[in-house]
Order: sequence, then structure tokens, then C-alpha cells
Amino acid sequence: MFNKDSKLEKFKDAETVIGSSIKVKGNFQGQGNIIIEGALEGSLKTDANLFIGEQAKVVANIESKDVIIAGEVRGNIKAKNYLAIGSTAKIFGDVQYGEISIERGAVINGQLLILSEEHRKNDKAKGEEKESQLEK
Amino acid sequence: MHVYIYDDYLNKGKYNRIINRMEIRLTDLGLNGKIIRLGGIKNIKGTIQNEIRLGAKTIVAVGNNQTVNKIIGAIIDTDIYGDFQKKTLLGIIPIGGDNSIAESFGINNGEEACNILLARRVEKIDLGLVDKHYFLNQVSIQGLGTILEIDNYSLEIMAKGEVRIINLLSDKKREIKSNPHDGLLDVFIKTRGKDETYFSTKKIKISNPENKLIIDGVVEINTPVEVGITRDRVNIIVGKDRAFE
Repeated sequence: MFNKDSKLEKFKDAETVIGSSIKVKGNFQGQGNIIIEGALEGSLKTDANLFIGEQAKVVANIESKDVIIAGEVRGNIKAKNYLAIGSTAKIFGDVQYGEISIERGAVINGQLLILSEEHRKNDKAKGEEKESQLEK
Repeated sequence: MHVYIYDDYLNKGKYNRIINRMEIRLTDLGLNGKIIRLGGIKNIKGTIQNEIRLGAKTIVAVGNNQTVNKIIGAIIDTDIYGDFQKKTLLGIIPIGGDNSIAESFGINNGEEACNILLARRVEKIDLGLVDKHYFLNQVSIQGLGTILEIDNYSLEIMAKGEVRIINLLSDKKREIKSNPHDGLLDVFIKTRGKDETYFSTKKIKISNPENKLIIDGVVEINTPVEVGITRDRVNIIVGKDRAFE
């Protein structure tokens, strides 16, 4: 169910990688794929995909399109499209998602809420609008 | 008119043969021009600026990374820069070692450089800016204890290693790719083992009370300091095998 290697395919060309010896503080925002292996405190947002590695410790609210979590997250998570939670993941916060997969062994301490179809459509429309503005 | 700026280290006898071959090749291609040897000149800036005033269409750095940096340093932010940007191209003929700038532009040796000068494939290239120093390649600093501040967030490096802020570089072994005309600096942090961090930004503030920031491997400056990028500052003749799109 949670094949990390195949899921990581889409992160091959990640624009941003935060290594395990890096500590980030503040509002971290990106437009491309992001991989977090280190520590992050604040907020984390991207229009693309996000991977939280096994060693990562994130204390932040997260918003992204597809999210894969293998590390520790303390904060609310909003995965507009797909959320994959691995066996090593520890989540302390509410989780919103379009689709979800949870591997055995994962710890989730919070509410699981599916995003309404209308909400997802709105988010998708906003994303497309942003993309077309960027192209212009 | 082509003006060839020969760096002073080329006065050594071991470079005679390679320079002779290069000069014959340039003559064969009809690219011969004026030669200026930096070895005998005290006012390098004045000499280069004067050649641009006299109407040089192409200034060619014959030497290594330092030669290219000397020429750029002589032109940027001077009265002559406007003329240079509109009318003059910068070419490079690499001779000897320390030629990563030329390699990034797809110019691997002197003979190839002559053909590239003839083809005149031109790219507008960004320059990085630290304090009042411009750089083409990169700046670097020791990793441990370094704090990087970008817009609304900061990064603290918790292990030994190196931080590189790159404008132009393509390190084939480590697969670092950097585009020198995208208006962005590429931040690359390598710490223990295979731990790597990378992202792009337009400007970044660097602080490290223990270590200095090194510009293009030569100039050292104290931190905190802001590193930025200035777009399309130099028109450079590049090879088709350059390391960027």
C-alpha cells in the first residue's frame, strides 16, 4: 500500500530539499515539489507535492496538493488531493484530505476529515488560475 | 574589432606553444585582433575601459576564471558599462587549469574556443552581487553555525559542511545544475555523508560569526551580508554544449 520508492518517483525533480542537518524556522512556501528530511517550525505550503521524510520533525500547519508523510508532524495537515501516511509517521493534529492511504503502524492523534468535492474543485480552480497567471 | 586580453600568467614559457597554436587558428578563422597583455599593465580597468570606448566589438578573456572576473570587475558599475552591454560581447579562451567558468559555457579548450568565437552564439548572463562585489560562479561559506535568512523564513545549519550560493555552475559529478539566466541563485548545502539541501531564491542574507564568505574562491568578506542577483548583466559568447538551457 505504501511503496515509498514508487511514491517518491514524482519527487525526483524536487525544486526544494531540506536535509536532515537543517533547521528551518518561519513560513516556508514553495511552488514546486518539496522534500523535508530535517526540522521545520512555522508553516509549510506548496502548490505541488510534499514529502516528509522518516527523520523529519515538523511543527507546522501544512498545505499541499499530494502529501507523503513518513516522519513526525505536529500541526494540521491539508492535502488537497492525496495523502499517504507511512508506518513510521506520527501525526499530532487534524488532517484534511481528498484521498488517503494509511499504513499499519502509523500514529495519528487528531481528526480525519475528507475535503468536500466542492472544496476540492475550488482549490483546483485556484491552482489552475495561479498557474495561468504564472505562465503569463 | 576583437580585443584579446592575455592574463599575466600566460607569460610563462610553458604556455608559448598553446598560445601560438591558438593565434594561428584565430588568424585562419579571420578573428585576429588587438592583443593586450595584463602582465605589463598597472591600470587594468582603465585599459579595458579604453578599448570599449574605442569601439571593441568583442573583448576576449584569454586565461582562466580569474581573467574573466578581472574583465567583468573592470566594466560593471562603471561609466563604460552601458556601452559595453549594448555593443560589446565577452568571449573566453581557456588556457591552463581553473577554468570552470569556460567549461560551464561549453568552452573546453583553446581550439574549441576559437570556433565558438566564430559561431557567436550569445547568451545574456546574470551576475551575483555581494556587498559591492559581483560574481559569476558562486560564493561559499563553512556550514556549521551558518544562518541563512530568506523572505519569511530562516535556515540554521546544524552540522559541518559547506554552503554554496551558485549563479553559474554545473558539477557533473554531484549533478548540481544552475541556470545563470533564470534570475535565481541556487543554494546548495552539503553536510555529513550524503545529506544535501538545495533550493532557489532571489536574495539571501548570510550570517556566520566564525567564518568568512568566499567569493569565487578568491575574495573573503565578513558576514552578515546579503547576496542577490542582477539579471542579464553580461552578453557572453557560449558554446552549444553549455551546462544550462
